[in-house]
Amino acid sequence: MTMTKATKKTHSQHIKMKPSAVITKVIEYVVLILGAAMTLLPFLYMILSSLKTYQELNAIPPVFFPSIPQWSNYVEAWNSAPFARYLLNTIIVAVCTTIGVLITSTLSAFAFSRLNFPGKNLVFSIFMATLMIPGEMLVITNYQTVSNLGWIDSYASMIVPYISSVFYIYLLSQFFEQVPNELYLAAKVDKCSDFKFMAKIMVPMNKSCLASIAILNFISSWNAFLWPLLVTNDPNMRVLSIGLVRFQTESGADYQLTMAASCMLVMPVVILFLVLRKYVLEGVAFSGVKG
Amino acid sequence: MKMKRILCVLLSAMMFLSVFTACGSTSSDDDSSGTTTPTADQIIDSADIEACEIVFWHAMSNKQEEALTAITDEFNATNEWGITVTLVNQGAYTDLSTKLTASAASDTLPDLSQAYNNYVTSYIDKLVHLDAYVERDYDEMDYEDILESYRDENSEFGFISGMPFNKSTYLYFYNKTLFDQLGLSAPETWDDLITIGQTFQSELGMVSLGYDDLAGLIEATLLQNGAEYISEDGAEFDTEEGLEAITYLMDLYNNGYARLVGEDLYFSGPLGNCLVGAYVGSSTGVTYITMNEGYELGVSTLPGNTTKAANTAGTNVMMFTTDLNKQAAAWEYLKFLTNTENTVYWAMQTGYMPIRTSGFESDEYQEYMASSEAAQACYAQQDAYFSSLNFDGSYDVRNDIGSKFEELVLAGADGQTALDELVVLVNGILQ
Repeated sequence: MTMTKATKKTHSQHIKMKPSAVITKVIEYVVLILGAAMTLLPFLYMILSSLKTYQELNAIPPVFFPSIPQWSNYVEAWNSAPFARYLLNTIIVAVCTTIGVLITSTLSAFAFSRLNFPGKNLVFSIFMATLMIPGEMLVITNYQTVSNLGWIDSYASMIVPYISSVFYIYLLSQFFEQVPNELYLAAKVDKCSDFKFMAKIMVPMNKSCLASIAILNFISSWNAFLWPLLVTNDPNMRVLSIGLVRFQTESGADYQLTMAASCMLVMPVVILFLVLRKYVLEGVAFSGVKG
Repeated sequence: MKMKRILCVLLSAMMFLSVFTACGSTSSDDDSSGTTTPTADQIIDSADIEACEIVFWHAMSNKQEEALTAITDEFNATNEWGITVTLVNQGAYTDLSTKLTASAASDTLPDLSQAYNNYVTSYIDKLVHLDAYVERDYDEMDYEDILESYRDENSEFGFISGMPFNKSTYLYFYNKTLFDQLGLSAPETWDDLITIGQTFQSELGMVSLGYDDLAGLIEATLLQNGAEYISEDGAEFDTEEGLEAITYLMDLYNNGYARLVGEDLYFSGPLGNCLVGAYVGSSTGVTYITMNEGYELGVSTLPGNTTKAANTAGTNVMMFTTDLNKQAAAWEYLKFLTNTENTVYWAMQTGYMPIRTSGFESDEYQEYMASSEAAQACYAQQDAYFSSLNFDGSYDVRNDIGSKFEELVLAGADGQTALDELVVLVNGILQ
């Protein structure tokens, strides 16, 4: 009902538009179309490159469209490594870490934003301080820990170290703090437990932010390279991004195969984005976070 | 009450930490059973090797991986001891290096791994000394058949640290059609390079030269002029010969005879597309050069000045297992991997070079060489091969000096300024 009214209103606005407003709109759309084209160009180039021959890809002046699409690049790339298994592993790792991050971030953010306990600020400061340590510094020590736990070549090694993120805890706690305290106090009066309040009030009210966290974490987990490479030796435990480096050697690279594999790698993420784009865009608009 | 809670938290944290510490010490205890320095009395006789699995980490991909897999499959199928070698691809060289460093820190190194000597300087105590094995099988495998520069490289730590495997050298690749048109031939000396640069510039308005590896370029140029490069004490090229070499290099760039690779990463593309007249790069890069129609590729040895010097690149295979049975098994595989037949097969499949003189001289390789200009050039400059010295910090110098040199080229620095800045950089790392 509301939607129909809104549509009608928009239509009537369009009819009454002044010529100057039309020009502004045209300029707006031209700029937006150019922006969209610039954003899409690398994707388009990736897809076109994946269908070129090695010669076409290296030609100067550059060839934009392949003369004959080389679909065999996809077959060759797919057969050069167990990509089906890599895909399954990547999905398992990305989904599990994302669920883990959502659970830990929600619980911690709720604790920091609503609960009062001794040392809360100290613990929060310590959490914040860890953001100042570059991830690269921790690679070796994390590897030692995982290795000593006997987790090499297991999903646990790729999932557990990444099921919590201080940045997302911080982000979510900022969102939680914006929920009026009166709601919490009213829920308390109605004898609602903290957990129930979090699950029934806080989470639904902040689902855009949670969706952003989910999608950003999923993408970073999907693209992770060094850590999965470090903690796996068995080809059956490896992930998609590791498959990509197979086409590069010290003296050259078969970029057409890299591009074909890249297309296969990004497709699931693009589909996920299309499915969740409403939440992602809302979340991005709220938080100002870019992927 | 509050204090009590804090105490509880601290004690829990201590418990948590102690679990990890306990895990750490267990692992190092496991390794005390074997040795990395087996003596002739300790090593297991070939006849007594028991069936086992050997894990071999490598960074080979594409055709290189296929060739390595073929050799390994053959070993697994034919060896009399039931040894199974499992190949594990660890990405590119830098990934392999990071993984080895992390594994060394947690005592989880593989049985065998490809490695450059400069990877292992910080965990050299974990390398198995192969001297006893080489000595025992000396006659059988004829160690001296392996090219001298490779033997030297694998002995630079004072013991035999590995077996040479995928060895390449740098060559001069050029656009033969353009060279013929301009009446030029492949360069023999630095002066020839300048003549070629001038001719390309004046006749075609083109840059004549590029170098894929700037760190390798600096070292080779210094040695070609009789200067020294680096030692554990720092830069050794702050000399008259050093200044002459660096000035010559900067002039090549400042006069527009040479250019940086930029975003192409390798010069094989620009050479094929007639954007540069020639480049110096790894002999294995020849498979990536596709010349535009109507142009022919030429391959030649590196030009020299007072002397010739050609970088060798490529890794050795090193052993880390402390288990004596596994060491003996891995040694059998190493012998197989580097025997004449397999080194020739490897070279022909990948563009790397045979590591044995008998490999170069074999009928099969000679026949291959007749049809491969790159292989001929590799063979022709054998006497000029050198490998970089490795010690603590040399890996960092190699990583940093190339980008510093690039900065200097972009700034158009003169020879003296470039020399001074490079010396400061190297000394800052090594001293």
